Amino acid sequence: MDFSWTEEQLQFKNEVISFAETKLNDSHLVNDHKLEFMRKNWQLCADFGMLSLSVPKQYGTHTKDIDILSAILAMEGLGYGCRDNGLPFAMNAQMWTVQLPIAQFGTETQKETFLPKLTSGEWIACHALTEPEAGSDVFNMQTTATKVEGGYILNGKKHLITLGPVCDIALVFAVTNPTLGKWGLSVFIVEKGTKGFETSLNKAKMGLRTVPIGDLTFTDCFVKEENRLGSEGAGWSITNHSLELDRCSVHASQIGAMERQLEASIAYVKQRKQFGKSVGQFQSVSNRIADMKLRLETSRLLLYKVAWLKSQGKSAMLESAMLKLQISESFVASSLDTIRNHGGYGYLTENEVERDLRDAVGGVIYAGTSDIQRNIIAKTIGL
Amino acid sequence: MQEKIIKYIEEELANEELDGGLEATEDLLGSGILDSLGMMKLIAFLEDEFGCKVLPEEMVIENFMTVAHVNDYLVSKQ
Repeated sequence: MDFSWTEEQLQFKNEVISFAETKLNDSHLVNDHKLEFMRKNWQLCADFGMLSLSVPKQYGTHTKDIDILSAILAMEGLGYGCRDNGLPFAMNAQMWTVQLPIAQFGTETQKETFLPKLTSGEWIACHALTEPEAGSDVFNMQTTATKVEGGYILNGKKHLITLGPVCDIALVFAVTNPTLGKWGLSVFIVEKGTKGFETSLNKAKMGLRTVPIGDLTFTDCFVKEENRLGSEGAGWSITNHSLELDRCSVHASQIGAMERQLEASIAYVKQRKQFGKSVGQFQSVSNRIADMKLRLETSRLLLYKVAWLKSQGKSAMLESAMLKLQISESFVASSLDTIRNHGGYGYLTENEVERDLRDAVGGVIYAGTSDIQRNIIAKTIGL
Repeated sequence: MQEKIIKYIEEELANEELDGGLEATEDLLGSGILDSLGMMKLIAFLEDEFGCKVLPEEMVIENFMTVAHVNDYLVSKQ
């Protein structure tokens, strides 16, 4: 068992941290307050090559293909260096649930048409799966795609779609054959401006406030046959293909954020003095920080295991469910601990401690709730 | 090969007790015998047991609707 990283991988991670710390942290407090998406920072990340991590080199900005372990480590670096948790979250959504499916299932024309525009930052894409009545029960969807000459007519509504309000294209899941159940789902690339395709305004939310989220509506929306991704009925396999990698990468950024919290907590409790000594010398405080370290390292081990399994082309159903559960719950717990460590200072918005807690809560809901992850774990081990 | 797959589904994956056993022609995912997780576990089993690699684009109804489809698909990959 070898846990070591190459010099090249570590250097890339450090470059990402340096980039994020110097370029991405100038306006996130205001953006969070005003629910603003920072297109400028998105473009900076694209220019740096972050959005290209999930596609073969010919469709991105890198001179060689990036392996999944290097990509995970880079995203961990981004989460550490970028104090806006929303930006890595949004980027991951596009990278692993839109770009990766297009790279895997798309025709060469689709890849050449869409991927360079997405990895370069020119276009933004969203993954449109969830519906008002199809959340955890995601295959119970109502959106339909009816075959007509030359294409399909889409009707339905998508709900809680990350980047939906600012998207240039949407990867839309719809029922093409209701008699086939899960085999009857197909996926379509719908471009902004297509007649019958509307996006809602950004919706206010508790955390991840720099990420636009909203609804998509399709009303007799004609989509050309060449914009269907994969074969008719491939929706189920497209969803499952990206799931494990999405869970892996989105949470890599949270590992970085948890490391940042730990370092901030240690620095604060060492300098903060009460009753004549540093508060870190009180065991109630130091034990809490030990728990934060334990959560960080156990989460990190699970992350690296899933990334390694995927790098070997292996299935990681159980491991990715445990990873999602472990990291998302740990991020909430450690965010709350970080506030406790900082006391009243941590409760004030201007000091940027409380924002992590608001951002972390979404993690126990999106991409499969903690309840669902526990169900998957239980079922996978034979219950 | 077909018997091994049926046995694995009946003993490890089926959501409910299958009256009279699983037929090779029964729709696995569409009829609810397997859910999504069960189908992914079946694919992992096939890869381990028969030494094949199921590509994402091959996870389609033509290859996985029934045990008979799975059997034909595996034969075609040999």
